[in-house]
Amino acid sequence: MLLTRHITRFLTLLAAVLVLTVTSVRAADDKASPQREQELLAILRSEAPDADKALACKNLAIHGSDESVPDLAKLLSEEKFASWARIALEAIPGPAAGEALRQASESLDGKLLIGVINSIGVRRDAKSVETLIVRLGDKDLDVASAAAVALGRIGNEDAIKSLRPLLASAPAGVRSAVAEGCVLCAERLHLAGKSAEAVQIYDEVRKAELPKQRLIEATRGAILARSPKEGLPLLMEQFQSPDKVFFQLALGTAREFPGSDVDQALASELAKSSKTAPDRAAIIVQAMADRPKTVVLAAVVKAAESGPKPVRLSAIGALARVGDVSCLPLLLESALDADEELAQVAKTTLGDIAGKGIDAQIVSLLAKAEGKKYPLLIQLVGKRRIQAIAALLKAMDHADKTVRGAALTALGETVTLKNLPVLITQAITPKRADDAPIAQQALKAASIRMPDREACAAELTTALDRSPAATKTVLLEIISDVGGTKALETVGASASSKDPLLQDVGSRLLGKWNSVDAAPVLLDLAKTSQDVKYQLRGLRGYIGLVRKFPMADAERAEMCQKAFEAAKQPAEQKLVLDVVKLHPGIETLKFAIKTIKVEGLKEEATQATLVVAQKLGSKGVDVKELLSTADLNKVKLEIIKAEYGSGATQKDVTAVLQKQAGDLPLITLADASYNTSFGGDPAPNTAKQLKVQYRINGKAGEASFAEDALIVLPMPMPK
Amino acid sequence: MANKAMQLPRRQFLKTAFATGGAALLAPMIIPSSALGLDGAVAPSERVVVGGIGIGNRGTYDLGCFLEQKDVQFVAVCDVKEKRRTAVKKIADEKYGNENCKTYIDFRELLDRADIDAVLIATGPNWHATAAMAAAKAGKDMYCEKPVTKNIAQSLILAETMRRTGRVFQAGTQRRNLPHFAFACELARTGKLGKLKKVYAHPAGMQALMSGWLPPEPAPDKEVVDWNMYLGPAAWRPFNAKQLDGFNFEKGGGFIGAFNGGGVLEWGSHCVDLCQWAVGDCPPPVEYNAPKDGELVARYENGTELIFREKGWIPLGSCPVRFEGETGWVEAGDSGKLVLSSPELLAGKEVAEIGGYPATFHVRDFLDCVKTRGLPKGNADAACNAHIACHAANVALHLGRTVKYDNTTNEFVDDVQANRLRSEALREPWRL
Repeated sequence: MLLTRHITRFLTLLAAVLVLTVTSVRAADDKASPQREQELLAILRSEAPDADKALACKNLAIHGSDESVPDLAKLLSEEKFASWARIALEAIPGPAAGEALRQASESLDGKLLIGVINSIGVRRDAKSVETLIVRLGDKDLDVASAAAVALGRIGNEDAIKSLRPLLASAPAGVRSAVAEGCVLCAERLHLAGKSAEAVQIYDEVRKAELPKQRLIEATRGAILARSPKEGLPLLMEQFQSPDKVFFQLALGTAREFPGSDVDQALASELAKSSKTAPDRAAIIVQAMADRPKTVVLAAVVKAAESGPKPVRLSAIGALARVGDVSCLPLLLESALDADEELAQVAKTTLGDIAGKGIDAQIVSLLAKAEGKKYPLLIQLVGKRRIQAIAALLKAMDHADKTVRGAALTALGETVTLKNLPVLITQAITPKRADDAPIAQQALKAASIRMPDREACAAELTTALDRSPAATKTVLLEIISDVGGTKALETVGASASSKDPLLQDVGSRLLGKWNSVDAAPVLLDLAKTSQDVKYQLRGLRGYIGLVRKFPMADAERAEMCQKAFEAAKQPAEQKLVLDVVKLHPGIETLKFAIKTIKVEGLKEEATQATLVVAQKLGSKGVDVKELLSTADLNKVKLEIIKAEYGSGATQKDVTAVLQKQAGDLPLITLADASYNTSFGGDPAPNTAKQLKVQYRINGKAGEASFAEDALIVLPMPMPK
Repeated sequence: MANKAMQLPRRQFLKTAFATGGAALLAPMIIPSSALGLDGAVAPSERVVVGGIGIGNRGTYDLGCFLEQKDVQFVAVCDVKEKRRTAVKKIADEKYGNENCKTYIDFRELLDRADIDAVLIATGPNWHATAAMAAAKAGKDMYCEKPVTKNIAQSLILAETMRRTGRVFQAGTQRRNLPHFAFACELARTGKLGKLKKVYAHPAGMQALMSGWLPPEPAPDKEVVDWNMYLGPAAWRPFNAKQLDGFNFEKGGGFIGAFNGGGVLEWGSHCVDLCQWAVGDCPPPVEYNAPKDGELVARYENGTELIFREKGWIPLGSCPVRFEGETGWVEAGDSGKLVLSSPELLAGKEVAEIGGYPATFHVRDFLDCVKTRGLPKGNADAACNAHIACHAANVALHLGRTVKYDNTTNEFVDDVQANRLRSEALREPWRL
């Protein structure tokens, strides 16, 4: 499948690229946008700034027609506009643009000429072949190279005829481009069904004196353009190459090669290389496995069974992709190999290998397994999620702790709600005490994957009542992980129980509840608990939810208000104000304004108010009226010095800040961007800071702000 | 289908994936490392010799991922900015305890070096496709940051060139090698969600990104910043320091007028790429509608919808994806979290929770394929399809109307205006 997909995709892509270029030169059949075109041409013909002319060219790529061509053509000789003009000329359909490029190619030289030739190539303008052929002999080797590639893109008979002889005769500096052009032509021929001619060209390129990469491209083409029967020997020849690059080419091309003969050839190559070049053999296995439909599985199995370790490792790993039920005995044996690395790879493969009958075979083997194979098969039941509850329950009573542990873990991975009580019992009252930790882990794994988490939480809650005190904590942790309404109810009840242990665990779990549903329970805990420690957990958990979860502005403001009211310490009240600063909104602003009047919080509340106001203001929200209701102390703000920049590169922006300073300790710039507000970037590509020295009501202060941060000046603290 | 998301507890995942190395066991692995000779010291002949082209912020991160691989020898850096050349040379020289890392302003000189097997291309998106094509023609394999192409034509030529030259290409779509994204895509691709109805990409807005012609400023010395090489294939304009942010320069696919579409391409090359993986890397959608209410709806040949959305449902980090089938759904984002309609979808598997933008596994996948010549996860065909979907969405955005795309001809159907936006001339002397 991979192979077919590769080839199909390649042909589709290639055809698409060909079509893409062909269609760009076909006759214009749209009406473009005549009015817009006239506006753009007026810009080009005016004394408009260069920037406007450049963008007009770019717009003409969409709106231009033949009428724009002469104006654009004039710009092809101007270094600053040529690239802009070609954007339009490459895109405007029809012969006029092609003609303009052709004419320009006769008078230009250097890079501007190369640009025009490149555009001719993109347009695949067959009428330009003669012009390009002349340029193949240009004394500027870069121009000649551009012409060779452009001819390759056009790829018609004349272009091919002009390029082929140059493989031998062109100057060394042009030959690589000639080869590139030839390969493009050959690809086009192959796609058109003229494979014999394509092969001839590929072979000519292969024989030329060229950079290795051109030879690689030609060899790949030569292999794939031949019939499978003729291409295969050439492919396999590359596997023998002492040159790593050609060996790599073989690996890649083998994946693309059609038919199944190549799989046999790869199998033979694997057998040979395993003896002579194990490193290569290990990689050949991977190429084989990338052909899952036709791979010679027996060869991979043989490589997995014995031989050099790198080859075995690669082959055992590859069986995950191409193996079937027949590979099970080998893989099980390898999974118990004394070599830990081989064993680990085999176990991974056993977990991943797909195919009919594998699960059934594992269950069948499990029934009569013994020794080390027994826990291994149990692990596979768990890993592959095979339903084999009866066998696992039987194994849970085994004398060997390893077997019991494997069975519990596998149960955790496979048990359904119906059998969950079995695990619960093992977790809270195990037959053997040393099974408890693993049983608890398994219970957790099972519980959090139950589709009906409410039913699961109910089952666990029931068990909580009959659980010994020591395991209640474990159960509560698991219930908390399950989450949902029932779980919240259970954990909430625990937090408010009279049992100190349950209270402690319950309040801790509530405090990190990951759903806003817990808010009322947490607030209740904060308000009603008799223990300050739990009050605090409740309140901090509640504030955490307000801070973390998305919600409407009004809802957040209401929750902030409730948290603020429940808070008994300024530290918690300040946490609420931090939330407000993170989530600016009209309602949260109203809340912040209200808190300014709270004794002992004036400064923090003022800061929060200003931060929210400034953030809202920067989004265009009018907050003046609201701010006017705030009990903000007007201040006398003086900007003494302000610098913006990085390291030694600093720009004096004192005047800008002084101009914007008002009677509040915040400064709103003309633009959210410091660079824009301060007239440019003083230190591009570096982290910059704004440093401000100021006085508020006569008291000196200093503050630094990261680039584009809100400028809220802290009240200077008395020393 | 359940309405309520089933948020998996963090503890279910491997918390300290990187710290313990446990995630490496869960990372996709085609061939055991020791089969590639990575279990001990790697002989010089087995090392992949790497050069870097355009190594800025993300590139430096990528470079770190390369340098931590035992079988990599980083020998050269090319950058048009002197500061970056010097910084990268310092990193490499400190790593190897020598001064052997060579610096270049012109990447063609670096590509001429026969000893270099592969290159890391992390220039701005303006250069990606052109540099990648040059690297392929010079016989180098490459890891190329995204967005890889600027338009539809470049996407097609990229895939075709990689095949013709037999090079290994890995787009910097590292999400394809992150376990939670890979798992989400697998669920969709293998029918575990039922018949797939909608795949959602969240490209973090479809905001304007423009790279016009700004007022000229005195150009720095060529050794400090080579403006001509910086512009490369982009149409000429005078030096202006504001345009030296290569990450954003000419990123929007070269669109004009409203300059729409930059956001689609920047993040779409990640999240649309995942949607493409979810639908089995089939050809891109055949119809793209103008955006409405923050959504641009595209439709695949089989009726499945690809929806570009500006906002997410649940806080899953940047640029999340969501796949909806008839029987279930899954969401994943850069936080590393996976949210499922039912935990049963996990089928007992542990999926490592790896947040952020780590590229270690993706780089390893690339290096393995350099050796095996297999197809890396972010191969050129996959990147081609995903980028075409983004470019075609950009065309719909730019024209403000529905466009239809034919995957056989790779043309917009009966739409000359849209077809004119499929490609754009490169500045001389550059060609693909």
